[in-house]
Amino acid sequence: MMATRAATPGRVKGEVLHDGFLRHKHFKWLKISGALSLIVIVGYFLIDVTPRHNGGSWYGYVLGTIGALQILWLTLLGLRKRAMTRGRWSLKAWTSAHVYLGLSLIVIATLHTGFQFGWNVHTLAYTLMMLVILSGIFGIVAYANIPTALSNNREEMTQPQMIDSLRSIDRQLHDAAQPLDQHLAALVQSSLEQDPFGCGLIERLSGRYPDCATRAAQAAIRRETAYKPNLGEDPLEKVDALLVRKEAILARVRRHLRLKALLEVWLYVHVPMTFALIAALSAHIISVFFYW
Amino acid sequence: MSFLIRQISRTADGREIIRPQEIDRTMISIGRLAENDIHLQDLAVAPRHAQIERLDQRRIIVKSVSGLDFDVDGRPVQEVEIDSAKGAELRFGGHRLTIGHEGANVTIAVERVEALSDASEYKDEARVFSLRGLLPGKRLSAWGFAALILLCFLAFPIWSWATYSEVKTRPVGFHADQSWSSGKLSLAHKSLENNCQACHVKPFEAVRDTSCTSCHTQVHDHADPKRLAEAKATPGLGGRVQLMFASAFNVPQGRCVECHTEHEGAGKMQPTAQQFCSDCHADLKTRLTDTRLLDAGDFGTAHPEFRPAVIVRPGGAHPVTQRISFDKKPIEDNGLKFPHELHLSKAGGVARMAQTLSGDKGYGNALACKDCHRPDSSGTRFQPVDMEQDCSGCHSLAFDEIGGTVRTLRHGDPAQVMADIRAFYRGTGPARPANLGGMARRRPGLYAEGQVYSAYFGAVGARPGQAESAIRAVFSPGGACFDCHRIDPPGAGGTWRVQPVSQNARYFRKGWFDHDAHKTEDCESCHAAPTSKAATDLLIPDLASCRTCHVGEAGASLQTVAKPVPSGCALCHSYHMDDGAPWSTRQRVADNKGGTNAAKPTGAR
Repeated sequence: MMATRAATPGRVKGEVLHDGFLRHKHFKWLKISGALSLIVIVGYFLIDVTPRHNGGSWYGYVLGTIGALQILWLTLLGLRKRAMTRGRWSLKAWTSAHVYLGLSLIVIATLHTGFQFGWNVHTLAYTLMMLVILSGIFGIVAYANIPTALSNNREEMTQPQMIDSLRSIDRQLHDAAQPLDQHLAALVQSSLEQDPFGCGLIERLSGRYPDCATRAAQAAIRRETAYKPNLGEDPLEKVDALLVRKEAILARVRRHLRLKALLEVWLYVHVPMTFALIAALSAHIISVFFYW
Repeated sequence: MSFLIRQISRTADGREIIRPQEIDRTMISIGRLAENDIHLQDLAVAPRHAQIERLDQRRIIVKSVSGLDFDVDGRPVQEVEIDSAKGAELRFGGHRLTIGHEGANVTIAVERVEALSDASEYKDEARVFSLRGLLPGKRLSAWGFAALILLCFLAFPIWSWATYSEVKTRPVGFHADQSWSSGKLSLAHKSLENNCQACHVKPFEAVRDTSCTSCHTQVHDHADPKRLAEAKATPGLGGRVQLMFASAFNVPQGRCVECHTEHEGAGKMQPTAQQFCSDCHADLKTRLTDTRLLDAGDFGTAHPEFRPAVIVRPGGAHPVTQRISFDKKPIEDNGLKFPHELHLSKAGGVARMAQTLSGDKGYGNALACKDCHRPDSSGTRFQPVDMEQDCSGCHSLAFDEIGGTVRTLRHGDPAQVMADIRAFYRGTGPARPANLGGMARRRPGLYAEGQVYSAYFGAVGARPGQAESAIRAVFSPGGACFDCHRIDPPGAGGTWRVQPVSQNARYFRKGWFDHDAHKTEDCESCHAAPTSKAATDLLIPDLASCRTCHVGEAGASLQTVAKPVPSGCALCHSYHMDDGAPWSTRQRVADNKGGTNAAKPTGAR
């Protein structure tokens, strides 16, 4: 009881040694970017820009410059992450700063726009930036929650073990189905032939596989055996049991795939949109001064 | 003459293991069941799938017995005849049967070539458990999107600019540099929407005033640019930094677009904020020490007392006026004698006269302002009071009646008045005696007739002399002219003169006052006419009077105002001043009429 009380609130006892990038140095970068955002907001309301706030006022230029430099620095994480180091500028510190400074861009860039939006390259750059930030937020949420779910689902099973268990059940199915009539053997064969990893993005992310051949085969064989007494000698009964087991293994593999996909998919938005953003940002800056 | 069957399998390291079996029959079976001669443990193979029959030394025939196909050299068939010396490749499910000929035997090599299930095939763990392959690669899409955006939003617009940089008007349609527009142009510049090059003349050069003045040829500077520069407040630290940047990037100061910002949306251009004026005018005297302008920072709290242009010497259409502050209690000399109090009194002679004339003239129980003062066509100011129309109802100049027609003295022309009076006395004799015959011949001795004649013509002869006294009476106290005008009596050899009269049409020459905008107010709430006893009283409201409603732009006022009307400088003043209404007022009027702010100034009033 005492020990629980002594521990940092919101943290499970015993997890003191590891500090994630979100909590790094007692939320140092959250505080820094929070202060930055606050200063920018207060400035926005205190500084009187005529006729109204927009990106072309002096305050707009200041915010735009800060925002653009921030975007370039945030992009550098892509290079920085390839070199893991410790210390003051450890990769963790860098990631922590990346997350919180990235979030502060919502404030800085929105105030830079002066809430003037339109169908133009300027709003395009803003929209891409917001897409990048939103995908980043998704990534943070994923990193915070999915590893636990992933680990719970695996139950100490490694990925090669998952493949091996599928192979094992397939071998047993193959053997058990040998005596079957052709139409039943074909059902089992369709389950064997289906690639457990060969599905589309939607199936991966939703975890729903409406075209699962194993389930179809199992259902068909159930219909076949429904009105037969289970005497323990019908090879169909064994095939049925094996298909049920295969379904269970597939369910675990598919949950694993879904969680892994969620953990990964945001990067497929985050990274390409960052490059699109930098292109749009360049077009934005050049166009503004081209037609000054 | 037998079949030589070689079952080929492979060890984990890929080494072949061959198990040969010789069957000395002319017919052998192929199928999944163990009873078959060639037993294929393959679910794609039927329990009894096919049979092979030997026809002679070399030829065999392979025939499906299950109705299911098998492949020969990649082609599905039910039955096939094969020359074993030439060889063939059969395919049953995941197994390959290679037919050959060795000595007198037909050889059949049987090998499983497909994994028994998909999962059993080689799986690259890093790949199958990730999204790789399901989505376009991050690197590819990153560079792809970046290139697409640079192409559409940078290269294409620059091409548009380069194509049309020399033309005046672009063809109607899409131009890629529209994607650079940060917002719609104001309604006044709507026609330029498609013509970026009209203002953005050179790339990377901020818009210059020459772009504006190529159309706006009439607009003049607010003041001499040199004095304007002197009048500007010294910038603070932020301002200096801004100036530094501006000069570094070759952006001149005082450009039109600094106030007239564009691309702010398809509305009307917004009036410039008060601060723009007050930056200089709030303490102008500290920088422009010789200026005659008084400092003004905010209408509610820091505005000098009004200095109306008061007539100091009336002179018809060209009186001498002087701007005198209300602080100095100015009086106006318009040349008239006109007590407003007397005329607006609710009782007394004027009111009674008004009641008498109410049928003809539409007066009420007493005279009201509107009975004499009529607004001009714009409603901004008033038409001059007209003697014939507005005064003569009571102040009649009639002097004769001939056959029902009233003859009046001509107003505004004393010489004509005097001539008319003289003519009246000359042209109208005393009543002619009835016995004074016309052209009938008089008989001698009729003495009485001669008397009449003499008396009549005596009177006729004396009558023009009375004209001079009538003229004197008209121009003297109690006379029709003297009532309202100041009269110069004739000096030696001179004549009667009426001093000139001037009516002041506009008191505030530097500001703009619109009566139309104040229609909701009574005249008396600003003009103290009902208590004015002399024509010299200046009945124009002063600063304090206006401040009973109007407060500063941000609502500042020295005293509590019940219903404050926030009033920025632009409400009454114009930066590019002309004789017309200020820009913001024109805009408001145009608004009410549903037009744009492109209306031309309405000119002098």
